Amino acid sequence: MKRNLLLTFLMVFALSAVLAGCGGNGGAKTGNAGGTDTANTGGRGGSGGDKLSGKVTFLTNRTDMIGKEYDEYVKRFNEKYPDIKIEFEASQTDYNQQAKVRMASGELPDLMFVPDIPNSDLPKYFAPLDDIQFSSELTFKDFKSYEGKLYGITTGNSTSGIVYNKKVFADAGITETPKTWDEFLAACEKIKQNGVIPLASNFKDKWPLGNWVFDMPRIIENNKGFPNERINMDAPFSMDNGYGKAMMLLKTLADKGYLEKDINSTNWEQSKKDIASGKMGMYFLGNWVINQVIGVGAESDNIGFFPLPYDNSGELRAALSPDFFYAVNKNSKNLEATKTFLKWMIEESGYEDFAGFISPLKGRESKLTQLAEFQATGVELQEGEPDDPKVIEISNKAQIDLPAIAQEFVLAKDPQTVLDKWNKAWAKAKKDLGY
Amino acid sequence: MFGTLSYKKQKRLIIFSFLLIPVALLLLFTYYPAAKLVYFSFTNWDGYSPEKPWVGLDNYREVFSNPDIFGVFAHNFAYFVMGLIQNVIAIYFAVILNSRLRGRNMFRLLLFLPYIMNGVAVAFMFGYVFDTTQGSLNLFLNSIGLTGLGETSWLGTEGLVNYSLASTGLWRFMGYNMVIYIASLQAIPSDIYEAAKIDGANAWQTFWRMTLPNMKPVIQLNLFLTVTGALEVFDLPFVLTKGGPAGASQTYVQRVVETAFAYNNYGLASAMSIILLFFVVAVVALQQFVLSRGGGSK
Repeated sequence: MKRNLLLTFLMVFALSAVLAGCGGNGGAKTGNAGGTDTANTGGRGGSGGDKLSGKVTFLTNRTDMIGKEYDEYVKRFNEKYPDIKIEFEASQTDYNQQAKVRMASGELPDLMFVPDIPNSDLPKYFAPLDDIQFSSELTFKDFKSYEGKLYGITTGNSTSGIVYNKKVFADAGITETPKTWDEFLAACEKIKQNGVIPLASNFKDKWPLGNWVFDMPRIIENNKGFPNERINMDAPFSMDNGYGKAMMLLKTLADKGYLEKDINSTNWEQSKKDIASGKMGMYFLGNWVINQVIGVGAESDNIGFFPLPYDNSGELRAALSPDFFYAVNKNSKNLEATKTFLKWMIEESGYEDFAGFISPLKGRESKLTQLAEFQATGVELQEGEPDDPKVIEISNKAQIDLPAIAQEFVLAKDPQTVLDKWNKAWAKAKKDLGY
Repeated sequence: MFGTLSYKKQKRLIIFSFLLIPVALLLLFTYYPAAKLVYFSFTNWDGYSPEKPWVGLDNYREVFSNPDIFGVFAHNFAYFVMGLIQNVIAIYFAVILNSRLRGRNMFRLLLFLPYIMNGVAVAFMFGYVFDTTQGSLNLFLNSIGLTGLGETSWLGTEGLVNYSLASTGLWRFMGYNMVIYIASLQAIPSDIYEAAKIDGANAWQTFWRMTLPNMKPVIQLNLFLTVTGALEVFDLPFVLTKGGPAGASQTYVQRVVETAFAYNNYGLASAMSIILLFFVVAVVALQQFVLSRGGGSK
């Protein structure tokens, strides 16, 4: 009887061992990671580059490119490096959130984009990329660097401005793109009179308001460090600084009826089709949207791009901003192969033209006609500064979400109260954190 | 091989081994995360870094010192009101579909169907219904001549937006409540109805004096589901309005999610979740107290 009892308990334990399997796996993985470091250094010494092999996994947010453009990239890449296998992993809708969960669990892909974490945390997860040789200087090199080492490389840069349907402008009798704010309002009026919605704000979705509050304030102030200088202010939002002025531009358009009929009920996907077909006239967004509008059926020749004139001075400035940054997992089993693929993506893939970006490499001309048109206006492109982690910390502590504040500002009867409310939250968070 | 064991021991062994897996799963996926949540609520963890600095009760203090955070519960009130209406409609349909009616299974199925649908899909669908300029609701109102009403911004008017969203919830969960009510109606023995009929009770009297009292525990259960549902609404406003216009449809859970994932404050968000847990317990206890007092006096 005793033996039987023992047997049953053994069975029970066998069952629980199945359950505990996950834990066991985790342990094995960390062991692996330790081992690969040595394997890698060995490989680096022996191989001359072309012999690189291994598997590279890439967690991407461009799920639409999987099975299409990415397949074509891999084909071209493999002509050069036949032994490196590239695998794409589609991210869920919220890349940032998913990446952070995987950082917490230590299961990162080889190549990924940098989620929004302070730069001081970069060395904990990512490998330094200073040893990759590019054909020309990189833009935004100091953005994702820490203690002089480069951890993130921009996937492409963009600028923001007015993307417009040329036929809508011509039909409304506008022959020249507006150079001042008053001219811009006059153009909106003409378009409205013509029965077309002048500007698609996509107000409801909140994120399309980003350019108004992230780019415009520093452009209006003509000070690239303006967002970071908030660290010295107790009341960063006022009617006569960049923030108030930028939000006032949007509010003016809303109050004059130049935005969608009901700004609380907008439809992003539909708006692209409406811009393409001429039911709506303009977007104020990054240049990435140009290809998306063309993608839903607009003729490329019919879509134009010009900088938004924010005042009546006639000077034109626009923000240059980096998109996602590539980063390489520091525990990657195939570090060299991953770096090789990253270099190829930047230099040869042509991804920036597909995505409608300005190349991450300095001095490379874009193949997009709209970007050339934009440059021809004589606009000054202002590079941004990396965010000060302290400013982010205060913003998070005060739960400040700039596009949401812009929404409140536009809908409020008295916008000053909105600014006062968030100034108070800012000041309190700043004091609590001791900055 | 178990033959040598006594009957009692065999029984215990079987119970033990059958329970082992479900209990282990329960512990692993419910109680372990819950315990972690409690632990996080005492830290100011940012959601990804390995360090989780202990801050004691600071998070709780912060929640209670910020009246803003509890203000959003006012938005949940709309869901509660709609929940009550939902239960009334559910009882109505349950009673009708419990009678001998041609094609009643078909009707039951039709009313239950929305519950099976994915919540996000439902939200997207209603996004098209409530759209101001191209939505089917406004087009319908316009086509029957109510052009004034057909201009309504269902999701863009403060004060209305929560009721619009909650009515979607009503559409979705009414069938579920109805099925529970039907089950309880079928458990009422038919002989008491016969007796009532002989005594000359009319339909209303039967419903009010017999059906309702017999369903009371189930009504309590459904109210419990309604109240907790109303307190924990998240998917509808998250998908449809993102809390807009200007935060008018933000719910408590949405705020928790934002605190954690947008503002990187997992500690504070965990504390908010724990507070919600206690809040639900308190509200349900209150409801139980009020309802059972009514029962005692009968």
